[in-house]
Amino acid sequence: MNGQGEVALVLRGARLQLRVIGALIIREMHTRFGRHYMGYIWLYFEPLLLGVCIGLIHAWRDRPTAFGPFEFHAVGYILFFVFRGILNRATMAIKMNQALLYHRSVTLPDVFFARHMIEFLSCTGVMLAMLFGLFAVNGSLPESPLKMAFAMIMMALFSQGLAFLAAALTAAIEGSERLVHAVTYLLLPASGLFFLVEWLPEWLAQIALWIPMVHIFELLRDGQFGSRFRAEYDLAYVIGWIMITHLIGLAALRITRARVGLE
Amino acid sequence: MTTSMKLSPPITLSDASASPLSLSPEPELPPQAWYVRFWRRPFFLIVILPSLIVALYFYAIAAPQYVSEARFVVSSRGSDGGAAAAMRGMAGASAFGGLGGGMASSETNSVRDFLSSLDAVMDANAKLDLIALWRRPEADFLAQLWDTEPELLTRFYNRMVTVSLDPSTNVTTLHVRSFRPEDSKALAETLLASAESLVNRLSERSRNETLRVARQEMDIAEQRVQESRTALVQFREQEQELDSAGAVQAAVVLRGQLEAALAQSRAELTERLKFMRPDNPALQVTRNRIEALERQIVAERTRHTETTVGGGGAVLARQLASYERLMLEREFADKQLASATASLETARLEAQRQQIFLSRIVEPNLAVYPLYPRRFVNVASILVGLAIAYGIGWLLVVGMREHAG
Repeated sequence: MNGQGEVALVLRGARLQLRVIGALIIREMHTRFGRHYMGYIWLYFEPLLLGVCIGLIHAWRDRPTAFGPFEFHAVGYILFFVFRGILNRATMAIKMNQALLYHRSVTLPDVFFARHMIEFLSCTGVMLAMLFGLFAVNGSLPESPLKMAFAMIMMALFSQGLAFLAAALTAAIEGSERLVHAVTYLLLPASGLFFLVEWLPEWLAQIALWIPMVHIFELLRDGQFGSRFRAEYDLAYVIGWIMITHLIGLAALRITRARVGLE
Repeated sequence: MTTSMKLSPPITLSDASASPLSLSPEPELPPQAWYVRFWRRPFFLIVILPSLIVALYFYAIAAPQYVSEARFVVSSRGSDGGAAAAMRGMAGASAFGGLGGGMASSETNSVRDFLSSLDAVMDANAKLDLIALWRRPEADFLAQLWDTEPELLTRFYNRMVTVSLDPSTNVTTLHVRSFRPEDSKALAETLLASAESLVNRLSERSRNETLRVARQEMDIAEQRVQESRTALVQFREQEQELDSAGAVQAAVVLRGQLEAALAQSRAELTERLKFMRPDNPALQVTRNRIEALERQIVAERTRHTETTVGGGGAVLARQLASYERLMLEREFADKQLASATASLETARLEAQRQQIFLSRIVEPNLAVYPLYPRRFVNVASILVGLAIAYGIGWLLVVGMREHAG
């Protein structure tokens, strides 16, 4: 009897939370891009432009491989952009939305869920556009779009866990957002964007496979090129990382919420 | 729930020791309600209960699985360790450039691929009846083989048999699990045997391939020698000339002699004219000789350089050209044969060196203690995983409730 009341309460809360997140998405878009039509285009244009540029640089500079350096780097960069976009913005999230927390129905995780949703959807849209463009130009289709979508979701979730932690860290220690930015830059060469595990010498591959992002990139490439190389990834390892970062991150946000509320 | 309340012993104990305190039943309720409430809590239902069920399965029901392990190296005498290591280093250096390279030798990889293939499973199934082997009566219902279709059998086989390759040492490890120690050992033996026969097949194939090309070359060269000899014989028969070069030599010598004789005769005539009358009959003899010699020279020249009008008789110049062509052809054919023989010899040596073989390092063992299933690791990982998932879920649900409350 009491349990049923509890479930109904949670369900009502969940419905309300979804509405709050939806409203926060719209607000976030307005604050970030203004109310112009062109503003929204930037949302897609930024990852697209960066991805195409990185792809072109590598297409021009690299020796040709079995994959085509443009496809390899441009599509890979979109996946990295999910990580970069979510984690870099996380440090400012609390400060920018502090005023909203006076509303009782807005909680701290809602702010993050809304932002992450924007990043994930925009990058997925860019990824689709890019794959379609590649199909139109040289007729190459990804071998398993499902695996690529799964890689995007994994990357978004992994970044979300880290974003919770980064936000809590920034709130706890002043100035630590610089550290987070530095870490995202340092992780770029180690992320698996520029290599396949197969290319690495054995000892380096063993080290690289400790990094969860390398597994996610291998999953993306398995979906994109699949039959042309031997992918090496362990999704259980990535899920473990996602779970642990979410647990610690969400708990840390609860602690942060109490501290922020006091000010 | 009600029975546990009635049966709880602390009531009677406290009743007996301190009767004034036990007058009211309320203080007695919380200690009973403690564990009753505990196992109704979501944490118990979501985390503890599934872990207990898993633990019950692993510790009480799961059948022990015995491991048999074998290690082997696939090596070829052709590419020694040094060369392979150098190749590996090169592959490593070019890794960032984007040129992929297999770390281990291709034979090792093909043995590994073979051992996890449907082919190997069918091979082992024909020799050992895998279905019965993984459906022994002592096997528990969850771990035993369920489906017997070849593809699903292969999937199950790949769960129970792992083949791993250490690229730095090139040692392949074969790891076989089953419900009886003898079964594991027998299966490992069978798999090793079929891997060995695969390696032998590959070795035989590559050796034959190397020799085949060289033999083909040899056949072609022999054919050519034969043809050139036949052509020469035919030419000799047709022209009725053993050695055209010799004939030409002889003709040149003859012409030289004729020219010399002619010159001498002319000189003699000039000399005699000085002291003889022109109509002297002695001069006539010399004149006749000069004339004969001139005719002879013209005839010789015609015979050797011009075609006769009838066309039948071959002229020495043409004869010499074809003779020389034939001789050249014979010489080339001989040289080709010699080189083909040499390369066949090299190929034979190469083929001897090219043997691939599988050397066993560790023979399949007969297990005494069942290493699988890994009870503690499995139960602990499920417990930890569920606890973390519960934690996340709890945080999310609390967040949702905040919106409603």
